This record gives sequence, C-alpha cells and structure tokens, in this order.
Amino acid sequence: MTVQEAAAELPNARRRARRSPLAAQRQRMGILFTLPVAALIGSLLLIPIGQTFYYSFTNWDGFTSQWIGFAAYRHLFNTPEFVTVLENNAVMVLAIPIAVALPLGVAFLLNTHIRGWRFFRSVFFLPTAVSWVVIAFVARRFFDPDKQGVLRSLLDHTGLGFWHPDLLGHEHSALLAVMITFVWSVFGTNMIIFLAGMSTIDQEIYDAAKVDGAGSFTVLVRITFPLLKRFVSFAFIISLITAFSALFSLIIVMTNGGPGYGSTTLEFFIYEKAFTESNFGVGATAGVVLFVLVFAVSMPLLRLLRSDD
Amino acid sequence: MSALEWVERQRGDVWRRRTGRALTYLVLFAVTAIMLYPFWLMGQMSFRSLPQYYLGKGFSLTTWHDLFAALPIGREMLNSTLITLCSIAVILAVSTTGGYALGTLRYRLSSLVFLIVVCSMMVPMQSMIIPEYINLARLGFINHYYGAIAVYSALGAPFATFLMTTYFRRLPEDVIEAALIDGLGYGSVFFRIMLPLAVPAIATVAVLQFIQIWDDLLVGLLFLQTPAHRTITVGLETIPAQHFQNFPMEMAGSLVSALPAVVVFLVFQRYLIRGLTMGMSK
Repeated sequence: MTVQEAAAELPNARRRARRSPLAAQRQRMGILFTLPVAALIGSLLLIPIGQTFYYSFTNWDGFTSQWIGFAAYRHLFNTPEFVTVLENNAVMVLAIPIAVALPLGVAFLLNTHIRGWRFFRSVFFLPTAVSWVVIAFVARRFFDPDKQGVLRSLLDHTGLGFWHPDLLGHEHSALLAVMITFVWSVFGTNMIIFLAGMSTIDQEIYDAAKVDGAGSFTVLVRITFPLLKRFVSFAFIISLITAFSALFSLIIVMTNGGPGYGSTTLEFFIYEKAFTESNFGVGATAGVVLFVLVFAVSMPLLRLLRSDD
Repeated sequence: MSALEWVERQRGDVWRRRTGRALTYLVLFAVTAIMLYPFWLMGQMSFRSLPQYYLGKGFSLTTWHDLFAALPIGREMLNSTLITLCSIAVILAVSTTGGYALGTLRYRLSSLVFLIVVCSMMVPMQSMIIPEYINLARLGFINHYYGAIAVYSALGAPFATFLMTTYFRRLPEDVIEAALIDGLGYGSVFFRIMLPLAVPAIATVAVLQFIQIWDDLLVGLLFLQTPAHRTITVGLETIPAQHFQNFPMEMAGSLVSALPAVVVFLVFQRYLIRGLTMGMSK
C-alpha cells in the first residue's frame, strides 16, 4: 500500500473507532504500541534534526549560539572550499550509472540460472558484510604507488609498467579512487536488487517471446529491461543516498578528505567542521544542505516502496 | 529450407550457445576474483612480518602476535558484541510493537505516524549527529555503552519499523478476528499470534542490523572514545595512528574485525537478501 492509499483509508478507521468498544480498545492499543518507537525516533532523531535546522541559522560553538539568520547560508556558499565540496558530490554522481550498470549486466548473466549461479551470487554479495574501514585499508593497499601496491604490480605484469598512477596522492584523482572503491562495495547489493526484480518476471513471457522468434538480445532490451525499470530506479536512488551519506568511514580512513579538499564530500565536511574544528554552527548549516539533498533524492522512493499492490 | 541447411543452422546454434556459456563463465570468474581478492590479500599479508611485506614473500606469525599485543582485541570484540546485541534487542522491541500498531491495528492517524517513520528513514546520519552528540554529552551518555546503544537503536528503528509494518500488513486479518472471537485481547494477539508469525521478518531485521552496527565507525568514534569501551571497528581505525605504516597489522586487524559479520552473513544470507528487497518485490 502506498502512503497515499494509507491516507485514503483514514476515514474508515475513524468510523470503525466509533462503532464498538472493541474498536475503541483497538485504538487505545494501537497508540500504546506506537509509543516506544515514537519516543525513540522522536527523541533521538527528530529532535536532533530540528536542532540542526535551528542551529544552522546561528554561530553555534557547542555552548553558546547567536542568531545570524540567512547570513550563515550566504557565508557558507561563499566559502571556496564548500564549493569544492559540492563539486565533489556532483562528481560522485558520475559513479552511480556505473555502480548500477555493472551489477545489472552480471545479474542478467546469473539469471540464466547457469550452473553454480547460487555460488556466484553469494560471492558477489559478500562485500556487503565487510565494514568500510576494512574496505578502506584494502583500497589503500590497492592504490599504493609503492612497489607493494596491487594496482602497480598489476600494471607491471600486464606490460603497462611505464605507467604508475598515484591516485591517492593527488588532489584531483583521490576522489576517483574513492569512487572506484565505492562501485566495488555496492556491486553486491545492487546485483541482489536486480536478481530479485528479475525473479518477479513471469517465465511465460520469455517462453512466448521465444516462440515469436525473439533473440536473446531482443528479449533483454524489449522485455527484461522495461520490466526492471522500477528496480533500476530503486538501485539508482539507494546508491546515490549511499554515496552522499554513508561513505564517511571509507573517506576518513582512505584519504581523510584529502589531499587538500580533493576527496571531501559534504558528509565528511560536516564532520570536519564540527568535530575537528569545533565549528558546530557551520556543521549544522552544511547538515541542512545534506538533509535537503538526500531528501530530494529519496522522494521518489516513497512511490517505489510499495508494500503491496 | 533444405534438410542440409537446417542441420547447418542447428550446428551454428550449438556453437553459438557454447561460446556464449564460455564467455559467461569467463566474466563470472573474473568478477569472483575481483570480489574475493581483498580477502586473499588480507589473509596473505597478515601472515607476513613488516620486512617480509616489503620483500613481498615469506611467512611469519609476528604480525598476529603484535596485533594482540597492540590492541585489546578480546575486550573490543566483547564490546562490539554487547553493543550490537543490545541495540538489536531494542530495535526489535520497538519495531515489532510499532509494526503491529501501524500495520495491523491501523488506528486513527496511524498512516500519518507511518509517514513520519518513512521520512525519518531518510534522515542522513551526519545531519543529526552534531546536536545528538551535544545532547547526549550534556546527559553524560558519552563513553557509556548505553549512549551508543541508544544512538544505534534510533538509527536502526525507522527502517526496521517500516519492514515490520509492511510485513504485518500482509498477514490476513481473519487470524486476528478469530483470536478476538476466542476472547483474546489485542495485547495477547500480539504476543501469542503475531510475534511467532513474524519470526522471518525478525530474523531479517536482526541480520541487517547486526552487519550495520558491527561495521559502523562514526557512532563508535564519537560516543565511545575510551579504549575500554571501544568497539572493534573503532579499535581497527586507530591502528594507522599508533603503528605508522604497519600494513600487515592493518590487514590482520581487518580480518579479525570482518570475521563475525562475514560469518553472520554466510549463515543468514537468505534473510539479508529478503530485507534488501522487501517492499519492492511481491
């Protein structure tokens, strides 16, 4: 049921409530059972996000705060490093199509239920269980420009030894290394989403297409892909939210936001401002910007997340 | 089409199918190598001493000795386990009751509450973590297990409640009505009927949250700053600062910290898959 449908049912619930003592009890118990989760989310999520909005208009230092209004935002957007940070976020978006397309392709291959597909599915999904800190440590070994670096020895062994890129060492390439690592990490999750989507497609449609003489490529483009649209958008949005709001641990260990502001994204900027520089007001202002960004991106999810039809 | 042509064409088809399959396996094994390589790297490097690492060969247990000497691994694993399990317990308690209220009882305004739950799912952690930190610091919650447990529970509760609500909504109304006719109240319906029916959804929430909380760094970094309360993920993050460029130790620590979540993943993978796609597929 979508949120809208749930809202449409509201009058019914109201009528039921008036009808009988049992309905009145249902109403009471409903409220009672909602209380724990409402108290938890209210006190530890909704109040803090409200405070973030309030303090975003102040010069808060953690103890005292003075209202400075929209000047806080004007000041933030006029800071050159903040513009760099927003640009980094924009660049991150470029990784999303790749983070969606690669697992989509592999999901197509697995969905033929080729021998051993379950094994491959488990293996590809496994990185989901590994923490960003561990992934970051391994990524640093991978991109290490020294002789022990995995990428470097890979290039050496494939006859490309003349080229020794040091992605993590330069301001304009560190983010690329973060993006590559990100694509690797979300591969499994997106693949699982697509496999689930493909399993909802009726086998009869494929059989009918085969009878009509459609080749496997035609089937892919004309049947599978259109039916998967919902899942593709879902994976796209989830990946984008991850890229914007879940890479803190990866960045702090892998690059610490650097060199310079080269790999500082908005979420890392917030942490830096607040907890390294004790500039809580600026952190809150940037926090609101992140909130608005993520919220705008996730709005279509409300429509996609249908519990039943 | 003559018979001969037909045979020719069939032969072509077989050949095409065979190359197709070979290519598929080629791609799948290549991806397997890319996905498993980090694990192999961690294992291999952790069994080398630092000089052996620079040499690129050799076998030694020095790194493992050093790791256990440098970090209170046992303590940190215990901290992680305790915090993860307690947070999961809180999340399950509030999400099953909340899911029952919002998915089954559906009282007046419950759809509004559900909308708020869905919206709070989308609040990025960094946007609320500053006031959260200041608030809990004022209450004296920093460097106590319960502070971190409170934050993890609040962060996990919205999605868990969403999952539970959609799950309970799908259970048929007749079951509840039959129980009510038998004289059960709404409270006992929850404990005696709904909760046992919800075991698969409970498993899904538990596995998802286990991996999320075990692997988290930021909350641990802010709310558990003393070594005695640190989780294994936070302890792991301190290795580069304490043992500069001791890469084998980083790898050994990574392996230890990743192991529990990987085991949970391998055992309960089924539930994890369901959780990721719940609300999407039928």
